[in-house]
Amino acid sequence: MGITKSSMRLTLGDLVGSGTRAIKRYTGTLLAVFVVQTLVVLGTMVAMAVVLAQAFGHLPMWDDAVDGDFVSLVICIKWANANFLACASIGFGALILWSLASWFLAGGIYGVLAQRPEGRAETARAFGASGAATYLTYARLALCGIPGWLASMLVLALCMSVAGPKLAHALSAMDLIGPVALLVIPVALVGHFFATVIDYARVELTLRHDTHEPGVVATYLRTVAFVVKHPLSLIHAGLGWIAFFVITFGYGYLAHDRPMYGATGAITLFVIRSGVSLARMAIRFGVLAGEVDLGGSRALPPRRVEVKAQPKTAA
Amino acid sequence: MLRRAFLVGFVMMVSLAACSREHGPPRDRGTPHLDKVPALRGGGAARSPRIANYKLDAKLDTQAHSITATETLTWTNTGQSQVDKLPFHLYMNAFKNDQSLFMRTTRGEMRGAHAADNAWGWIQIDSLQIGGVEMANQLTYPGAPNAPTDQTVAELPLQQPVQPGQTIEINFKFTEQLPEVFARSGYKGEFNMVGQWFPKIGVRVGAPGAERWECQPHSAFTEFFADFGVYDVTLKVPFTYVVAATGVLVAVNDEPGGTRTLTYHAEDVSDFVWMADPYMITKSGKATLEDGSSVIVRVVYRPEHEAFAARHLQAAIGAIEKFSADFVPYPWSIMTVVDPPLDAASGAGGMEYPTFVTTEGDSVFIRPGMHFPEFVTVHEVGHNWFQGMLASNEPVEAWMDEGVNEWADSHVMADLYGARTSVIDWGGFTAEYEALSSELTEDPANSPTPIATAAFAFPDSDSYGATTYRGTNRAMTTLERLVGTTKFMAAMKSYAKQWAFKHPTGRDMFASLEKDLGQNLDWYFSPVFEQVGGLRLKVRSAHCIPAHGMRGVTGDGSTRKTLTDVDEPDTGAWQCEVVVQNTGVIHVPIEIELDFADGSAQRVVWDDHGGAAWKRFDVEHSSKLAVVKLDPDNKIALDVPIQHQYRLDGDGGASLRAGARIASWAQTLMQLVGP
Repeated sequence: MGITKSSMRLTLGDLVGSGTRAIKRYTGTLLAVFVVQTLVVLGTMVAMAVVLAQAFGHLPMWDDAVDGDFVSLVICIKWANANFLACASIGFGALILWSLASWFLAGGIYGVLAQRPEGRAETARAFGASGAATYLTYARLALCGIPGWLASMLVLALCMSVAGPKLAHALSAMDLIGPVALLVIPVALVGHFFATVIDYARVELTLRHDTHEPGVVATYLRTVAFVVKHPLSLIHAGLGWIAFFVITFGYGYLAHDRPMYGATGAITLFVIRSGVSLARMAIRFGVLAGEVDLGGSRALPPRRVEVKAQPKTAA
Repeated sequence: MLRRAFLVGFVMMVSLAACSREHGPPRDRGTPHLDKVPALRGGGAARSPRIANYKLDAKLDTQAHSITATETLTWTNTGQSQVDKLPFHLYMNAFKNDQSLFMRTTRGEMRGAHAADNAWGWIQIDSLQIGGVEMANQLTYPGAPNAPTDQTVAELPLQQPVQPGQTIEINFKFTEQLPEVFARSGYKGEFNMVGQWFPKIGVRVGAPGAERWECQPHSAFTEFFADFGVYDVTLKVPFTYVVAATGVLVAVNDEPGGTRTLTYHAEDVSDFVWMADPYMITKSGKATLEDGSSVIVRVVYRPEHEAFAARHLQAAIGAIEKFSADFVPYPWSIMTVVDPPLDAASGAGGMEYPTFVTTEGDSVFIRPGMHFPEFVTVHEVGHNWFQGMLASNEPVEAWMDEGVNEWADSHVMADLYGARTSVIDWGGFTAEYEALSSELTEDPANSPTPIATAAFAFPDSDSYGATTYRGTNRAMTTLERLVGTTKFMAAMKSYAKQWAFKHPTGRDMFASLEKDLGQNLDWYFSPVFEQVGGLRLKVRSAHCIPAHGMRGVTGDGSTRKTLTDVDEPDTGAWQCEVVVQNTGVIHVPIEIELDFADGSAQRVVWDDHGGAAWKRFDVEHSSKLAVVKLDPDNKIALDVPIQHQYRLDGDGGASLRAGARIASWAQTLMQLVGP
């Protein structure tokens, strides 16, 4: 029983191992969530393509722009800026849509990882039930998280005011290290802290939803204390983000200076980027599994409702 | 333990961020070597009439950033009319207060640099003597229409007019305070950029016998206009300072008290500028001209700019060699490029003076392959031709040096860094300078002022920049491509040879080009340079239908019959109609390429001299028309070309690829906010 294991005995290796096992055991769940995301991305891509084709379908200059001619790109953006604004709006809309969907999906994933159902049907049931049960709770939790994000923005603004002029005057990579560190690390730490708090609060709300019906605000505040007292939670989630960004920037580095032309290029681009996205999602999935283990070891929240006694079954 | 680690990390981070470049205390930089070359490459006779010659003796107070100086101006009236007053530029008074014409027209901001509230600059004439008679108290300040208290021009009425052919000597003593630099001249920290710093006489222009003074008050967009001459300048600075200046260093004398006196000599130049800084170092190279002679090229910079100094040096050498080959050989022995400290770059960088330019654009984000810093160097070095030698009246015809120079720069950049990659060759993106600069600024066709507008008559900096720089570049590029690059370059070379070390006007350049190109170009020069409206070219419509014989009712009475597609089936050919339009004021011959689906192409010409706003072309071809290309060889740079090509059947492939790319970025963000 993972949830009875003391948090003091859980190590980083335990959490990482738990993530690896979860990816192996619930690969289907991971792929299902990825398919949902891919569908949203595909819809976004098609919508953007339609908007752009409306403006540029008859104008060959757009082909040059997409293939890396910077001047053509500038001309096209200036000429059809409303279309690009529409594309940005579509992208933003997709992001909002995904945020809303993610409350259900995250609830489903936590539910599966906590309940460890066997078989596709049970897993699907656990996923759907947990996602539906915690959706509105997660929505309230998102509101609780706003002050944390505002604090992150404040830190970013403060760091920017100090590091910005130094960045503008940087002449070499060495000049960049200090200001970039000042700009990135504080906001990353603060943001990471509050993101981790949200993660563990979700775990708590998912695990205790049926038994304790914990209040969202109280859970959030208790989780802040939990994360402060358990730096392992931050280190574990932080490793996940580091892996996430290593993959992202690694891909960016490898793709840099390699434009992919034509229809074949478009397909190649989509396949490769989908692979990158799947890898990143797998990492997040593994991190969530570790969080369920660590979160499950927390002291139980105050009970707000009596747990209904299980009806005795006839012998 | 973890908290301690966080604390240590935080302290290290703040320390790293807070650390600034320390140069250590100023130290004796050693006695600089004399240049030991003549001011003019290879020596030789005067290249110019040497109308205004200056001897200056200046001392820089590096603490107060002030200068005390004496000046002896020897000026000759080379006109055919007598002169009864002498106007002098006192440029430094542009920074004297917020009521100067310059400060009113710039609103204290130029190219992103802002004037400091408490660091004004000014020049004060302490003494002005002619023939030993003190006349400083007779100076008047005519001001400017919008700035009556402006003191950037002072006039001295003469009781004894200067007769044609007569030479007079005027002796000044003046005191000067440098401003904190935001527009070319001034100080920042220990860096001192001293330009437009001494009383400078105006220029006599106009027809012989009817000459008049040209001496404009200094405003936002006007730069400088002066006669050529010889400069002998002595500069006194602390021995811890490195000095760079116009001309060649001919004497150095270290004096007790830590003062170093440097003497510079320059010939056939129209200005003298200098820089003093305790931390600068020098990187040198040589430009080799076609005759085998060489020019010493120096980049003066602070050590932290090392990586960029090499880029500037390469650009300057390339520019000197290319400009020399394309126009007239660089006449002086030395070219100095100063790369100002970053906190002074937007104010002091990117300015041209004879044999001395300042550059800018250094940043870690400007990767090799992004040639923006190199362009600044090429542009400023290029000014040694367009204004430095072809000394047009910049306040009145700024396009003749800024714009024509931009056009010439495009050639140099293409030569140095590749035609398609002259300004960007990085990250899979490429860009050519002329096209990129045009598209990043306001379309000159939208400007309310034509190219041939006096610099002080533009409504705003956007209009000035778009028209003077980009508009002229587009106009020159288009003409070059229409008449042929080889012919046009030869004509420009001829113009440069004819007018070097003179004061050409726009009309002089047009006449020279018409003569060398052997054609009347009024049809081009007038609308392009003197009218507002530009060129607005597009494919208005294009469509094809299958070709076939006549269908419908034919004949009358008993011979009447109805022909259907069975009687007159499609022939397999296509009837295509293309309508092109030009709603601008500029009308040039336009080639049109019709690309057909079978890969064949056909060209037609719309000779639009008549000024028609549109033209229809009917074409029958065995294959369907696929793409219409106006100006397929990209000769016309006067228009934004997005509607110059039209594909009859829409194609969403590129849009899909773009959508995939943008959606992929969106997916990364999605994964940041959700599972």
